[in-house]
Amino acid sequence: MYLINKSQVSDIAKELQKEYQVYGPVMEKETKQCMFVKVDDIAELDLNAPIPALPPKHTLFPQFERIMSYQYDKKNQKVDIKPDFDVSKKALFGLRSCDLTGVLCMDRFFLGQEFVDDVYKNHRKNMFIVTNTCNVPFKQCFCVCTDSGPSAQEGYDLNLTDLGDQYLVEAGSDKGKALAEKLGLKKSDDSHKKAKADVIDKSIDKFDSIAKDNKAWISRVVNRVTTGLIDEKVWEYIGNQCLECGACSFVCPSCTCFNIVDPVTGPETADRMRTWDSCSYEGYSRMAGGHNPRHPVEDRRSKRFFCKLSYSQSKKYLRPGCVGCGRCQWVCPGDIGLPNVVTYIRRDIQK
Amino acid sequence: MNYKSGICTFCGTGCGHLLDVRGDKVYGVFPMQNHPVSKGRLCVRGWNVHELLNTPEKITTPLIRKDGKLVEASYDEAVSCLVEKLKKVSPDEIGFLASPRSSNEDNFLLMKLARAVFNTNNISLDSDPGHRISLDVTHGGTGMAGMLGSLEEISKADFMLIVGIDITKQNPIIGSEIHFAARKGARVVTIDTRNTQIAKLSNGFLQIQPGAYKIAIAYMAKVLVDENLADVDFIKKYTEGYDSFVKVLSSLKESEVAEKTGVDIEMLKTAARDLALSRSAMVFFSSGISGFDRETVSYIFNLYVMAGKIGKEGCGVNPITGINNLQGSYDMGIAPDLLTGFQSLSDGTVASKFGKEWGVNLNAKAGKAPNELMGKLKALVTVDHDETIIRNVNEVSKMDFVAYIGSYQNNCMNYAHVVLPIATYVETDGTFTNTERRVQLAKKKIEPAKNILAGWQLLSKIAEKAGAKWSYGSAADVMKEIAKLTPSYAEISHDKLAVGGIKTGGVNRFDVEKAGRKIAFAAADANFAVPLASEEYPILLLIGESQHYWHQNNLMKKTHIPLREYNATLLLYPQGYVAISPQKAKELNVRDRFPVKIVSPYGSMETLAQVTDKVKPNTAYVAYFVDEMVTKFFMEHKDVLKRGEDTTIPVRIVKV
Repeated sequence: MYLINKSQVSDIAKELQKEYQVYGPVMEKETKQCMFVKVDDIAELDLNAPIPALPPKHTLFPQFERIMSYQYDKKNQKVDIKPDFDVSKKALFGLRSCDLTGVLCMDRFFLGQEFVDDVYKNHRKNMFIVTNTCNVPFKQCFCVCTDSGPSAQEGYDLNLTDLGDQYLVEAGSDKGKALAEKLGLKKSDDSHKKAKADVIDKSIDKFDSIAKDNKAWISRVVNRVTTGLIDEKVWEYIGNQCLECGACSFVCPSCTCFNIVDPVTGPETADRMRTWDSCSYEGYSRMAGGHNPRHPVEDRRSKRFFCKLSYSQSKKYLRPGCVGCGRCQWVCPGDIGLPNVVTYIRRDIQK
Repeated sequence: MNYKSGICTFCGTGCGHLLDVRGDKVYGVFPMQNHPVSKGRLCVRGWNVHELLNTPEKITTPLIRKDGKLVEASYDEAVSCLVEKLKKVSPDEIGFLASPRSSNEDNFLLMKLARAVFNTNNISLDSDPGHRISLDVTHGGTGMAGMLGSLEEISKADFMLIVGIDITKQNPIIGSEIHFAARKGARVVTIDTRNTQIAKLSNGFLQIQPGAYKIAIAYMAKVLVDENLADVDFIKKYTEGYDSFVKVLSSLKESEVAEKTGVDIEMLKTAARDLALSRSAMVFFSSGISGFDRETVSYIFNLYVMAGKIGKEGCGVNPITGINNLQGSYDMGIAPDLLTGFQSLSDGTVASKFGKEWGVNLNAKAGKAPNELMGKLKALVTVDHDETIIRNVNEVSKMDFVAYIGSYQNNCMNYAHVVLPIATYVETDGTFTNTERRVQLAKKKIEPAKNILAGWQLLSKIAEKAGAKWSYGSAADVMKEIAKLTPSYAEISHDKLAVGGIKTGGVNRFDVEKAGRKIAFAAADANFAVPLASEEYPILLLIGESQHYWHQNNLMKKTHIPLREYNATLLLYPQGYVAISPQKAKELNVRDRFPVKIVSPYGSMETLAQVTDKVKPNTAYVAYFVDEMVTKFFMEHKDVLKRGEDTTIPVRIVKV
């Protein structure tokens, strides 16, 4: 473990920029909205900015991405299909632990199963990740209930913790260690380790007073969702409020569903595009013959929460699919973000 | 920062978004958290706007029809052709069909082009008279032409009446605001012919017979009178014309109400009492293609005036525009008899102010809307929208000259002799006025494709070719002229428009204390007839819109995800559908997706049955969006369709 002075923490990003495109939290000036985006000027990065509205998911799984292109040679009746996507190396700087957990969930989906997604793998394999411990939660946070914060435990190359006038820098990989050594960071001692533990304890204590929005009751609800012991009326109540916008899936750090389309770009060319998709859409689960096993909106809604909270899904991710960031609560026009859904189910159990 | 702030231009809500702009492309979209209306939310359309912006179905070059085929041309050639053809036709025989999607700047210049250059007042929006009715009623009553409440104050309304609008589908984020307010304790009552989502989310739902909205609202007003619940202090201090309204109400017989509306009158009574006893109250109804007739809007307005729920915080009569710049288009004088800001063309002082600024003598005689002149018009200039074309295919295809101006390929091109492409809303600056009169600036974010002109540039080019001297250097210059000529836009300029924009007239909502005049009750008649089903045609057929694809669905068809959603319905029901109740289905011995035939006194069509509990047994519903249905069946019902949301066609449905 190492230490770096607060005023020099951006040196890490500057060093990374020599080899990587650096992404991190940036405040958009006109709207005062924090977005996790690519920076050209390291000074734009803001480690004290609020949790980014846009999670870093798009660095691995963009909203609208070309993954392949076709060229049809009409004369010889030959088709040339080649992979065609962004191959630049990316570094994520100042990631919060919930968002890193989201990346780990996506890893399980895209890389950890029988089929490995080449496009995702390409984005992921060259990635450098610097996380930042949250010393204060935000209003909508509940990572303490989903085991995904406030400090990252695995999956990072470097993890930063604000200890006042300096940051504790933990290396989580050889790559991370090499970078810390290259920057000549001074070594920390046990007192800093303890200081970090204090920061985390204090952060968790603050959930009671700051993160009041969401008193999630995740583990009990996981049990209910898994066993299916939830009254249909509860799902209907939730489904009635769904405006079918897709926002919950789009802002979720762990949602991986996508749609594939092949727009024709010229007389003999076409692209293959991958776009974010959402289980809230009616067309999402429609089968080729027209049958839709999840036609009513409440069926689509219950499947989302099954995906996020059931035990069988947890086996896939080795953790719940929800990472406790609370963004779905922000963007939901129906007021049925995951924390509210948990509340409704809890209410039903308590009845 | 590759995310650039802007506003969504699908519906009249005017949500804030950030577009992921890299190079000359838009790769994604994200909601804007600090936007005063949308507060970090978007609907299915808004979340997929980048798909539309990336469509290959854009118009990439000017086109001229030669030997029946559209061939590539330069702007110079195409514009010359347009000017030449229009000059050959008498001004009375030229029509301009503007689009409620165009920016204020583009619409202002189109209006100026029609009036000052081609000397015709035959200019209107594409078959959207519904909002004009709302404007007439609110303007006549208060002097403010538009929504009288504020979307930001929805959270402050204690009582909300939702009349005949599927608001979580048409303007989802406004629906969301209402839903949030309801969850915090506001009382929401929905009156609708169909069991919509907002009906399910309301405290009270009155499923009314088609065509009976007016009588239901009138009855609520009568309850206020009979139970002494009208706000007499408010009426005395701020209004005029109450007595004659009460007189009209007295001819409404309570005994008829239950039968004609089909709802329990105790529920109507309760709703009326809740309205009167609430501290603040709003009413929402659709304005535009599916809006109400004048009488129904007048009754809604009068009910809220007599309850004293107008011009105060959390109060308001709110006509909701389905299309992004419907309000702005009327503000820009897109109507046969209006100049900007609802100034009347027939007002000599106004006309001479415009004439002086433009260096012409304006023809003060109001024109007519092109769709009322079908068969008489010889030339038509149409922008972006194809509603009227679809409904008047026969007349339009016989015209000497049709020009189409737009960004995206469209059905209308099939009838055009000249096609002129313009930049999309991310390729030029432009302002849009949302349903609550909020003027917002969408800034240029990417360069248009090779040499494509912005709307304001193209219209200037046409004017110059026709001999006028226009010298706008930017869209901001156009806004300067608008501000100069329009009192309600006087304070607006591009450099003042930050996130959230500025509302017209500089006022957040109508304020009774600052109105400087009395509120006038709208004229209302005592005709309480409702469309009746007969033995021969026992079912009342309703016409409506659907979520992902309103109108001709020209934009949604160019996306991927919303298109799939459209196809989700359309693949199930390829020729469209008619929604009937399970009970009716049983009677007819049909199931979902069984073919049925709809027969009316005017025509018939075959379609598939959609069995749903959203409609009552004696009503049926068809979505307005399906091209095949609109062209065939609805063309036979043109006159009936003019009645807007109250459009009902008595039909019988038989199994095929």
